[in-house]
Amino acid sequence: MTRDAIYKLVREFYCTNYAPKYFNPEKDFVRYAGRVFDESEMISLVDACLDFWLTEGRFSEEFMRKISDYLNVDNIILTNSGSSANLLAFSALTSEKLGDKRLKPGDEVITVAAGFPATVAPIIQNNMIPVFVDIDIPTYNIKVSDLEKAITEKTKCVFIAHTLGNPFNVDEVLKLVKDHNLWLIEDNCDAFGSKYKGKYTGTFGHLATISFYPAHHITTGEGGAVVTNDDELARIVQSFRDWGRDCYCGGGENNTCGKRFSQQFGSLPFGYDHKYVYSELGYNLKMTDLQAAIGVAQMDKLEFFCERRKENYEMYQNIFSKYSEFFILPEATLHSDPAWFSYILTVKENIPFKRNDFIQHLNNNRIETRNMFAGNIIRQPAFINTTFRKADGLINTDCIMNNTFFLGTYPGMRPEMISYIEKITDDYIGKIK
Amino acid sequence: MSIIRKYKCETVKVENPLPGIFSAWFCSLDHPFKFKPGQFLHLTLDEYDPSLPWPDSRCFSMQSNPSETLLKITFSVKGNYTKRMADELSEGKIVYLKLPYGELFSRNYSSRPCVFIAGGTGITPFLSLFTDKIFSSYIEPKLFLGIRDEKYNLYAEEIAEAKKINNRLVS
Repeated sequence: MTRDAIYKLVREFYCTNYAPKYFNPEKDFVRYAGRVFDESEMISLVDACLDFWLTEGRFSEEFMRKISDYLNVDNIILTNSGSSANLLAFSALTSEKLGDKRLKPGDEVITVAAGFPATVAPIIQNNMIPVFVDIDIPTYNIKVSDLEKAITEKTKCVFIAHTLGNPFNVDEVLKLVKDHNLWLIEDNCDAFGSKYKGKYTGTFGHLATISFYPAHHITTGEGGAVVTNDDELARIVQSFRDWGRDCYCGGGENNTCGKRFSQQFGSLPFGYDHKYVYSELGYNLKMTDLQAAIGVAQMDKLEFFCERRKENYEMYQNIFSKYSEFFILPEATLHSDPAWFSYILTVKENIPFKRNDFIQHLNNNRIETRNMFAGNIIRQPAFINTTFRKADGLINTDCIMNNTFFLGTYPGMRPEMISYIEKITDDYIGKIK
Repeated sequence: MSIIRKYKCETVKVENPLPGIFSAWFCSLDHPFKFKPGQFLHLTLDEYDPSLPWPDSRCFSMQSNPSETLLKITFSVKGNYTKRMADELSEGKIVYLKLPYGELFSRNYSSRPCVFIAGGTGITPFLSLFTDKIFSSYIEPKLFLGIRDEKYNLYAEEIAEAKKINNRLVS
């Protein structure tokens, strides 16, 4: 049995079992997100399976190369999730190898409360103080006008996301980062493929992160990546990812540095096996080659996926612009070209319905919605008793918590599904008016 | 560190200027080489199947600068593998390279006076910096090169090129 014979069978299986199905508005769900794939992902995964090389291998190398070429970034460190990528990117900045520039307990880190917990948790777990700045509606990104006011002598880092695919104001943020000599981590998990002034997000900061969870622009099932042009930071991130070890050999490799038994570390005996020298406190947060194999195939579709997301966004804009008296429609940040993660709406106040009324109606009609992640994270049970500082009143953040939700723009969202959403919305608003 | 990539390469030229000393030039048969001055590679003479582990290989510094199409290394025959290389490397020979490794110049040294000390073929990582345009920013570079005698100075041409890039280089 050859590999080609197996691929043929996989192709047949895909065509039989995963052919596009007609959307039946009477009974089918409209998901907000999901994996979009064809036989190439399945064949790639089977190919990796047939290697039975279970850890990082040739597919990881190819996946990293494709991401590197796409973003034009030198270093890609694959991880087992976007959350792990955030943890690694942030933790890397605590390394003693960075000298006085490293982040230390008690340092302040500028971030936002209207976002995902995996952007804030690493700050707290590394004993630093998150400083929450409000966000702007309708871009849903950090309010740059409040950012400088939030900076103190303790501020050492800015760690913020390009919210739901909409780039933050990179020019303003970069200016402040440079003026105050701060680290910048871009949480790019929801924005892989978005651009700011023609350049991909995830390429502006010292480090950036990507997620490959199925809701995201491409998927590996579970998976993520840290990207950086800084070789030293890349090495540190990789160390934290790989049990904290100093060695950078790939899986199955030995002595790639040529000095495996001829160095002195800590107070270990001279020549202690470099494979077992640990210079950071790390764990194993690596991606498997099986996941990377899916990523290799998905990367070939990324541009198409981003275009579909933009098309879906425009369809939604056409629908909800009819109802601008009830909803605040999203806006792209100036100079940006978002690959929208989702279509985000805020229900206005002092109108005949609340957000929960409307989303309940949508969900009752099998249309999935999501709130904007944690809403106001400082109100979440896990965060309410942590140490943080609010830069201001977080008024918009609370507004988002109470009134904002999003609909799916993923490439599996077909026009007939969006038409169904329009019909359900028209029905609801028709009864209100 | 930068992504490690594997390259299938063709040997373009091999020179043997002195007994036991060889220089070889390789061109990539797939994507262009990507590395920084001062880094090194792994070279294997054996066929590489990506679905199998990487074969036995040895490390060599890149002597050419990153902007050149051909990648050059210089090696001296010391053991069994370098003897194999001397015997087997010839024009057209397919080899596989894995690079880049190392961080010799990862920090910015250009803003301070620098002394480069090398012996024989040990100069090769420096040459990849010296012949790269970034070398022009080095303020007071000084090179001390130890060689057995003048005939072993295989690098005069490259050092002369380096002095054109940075006329403050003293050697």
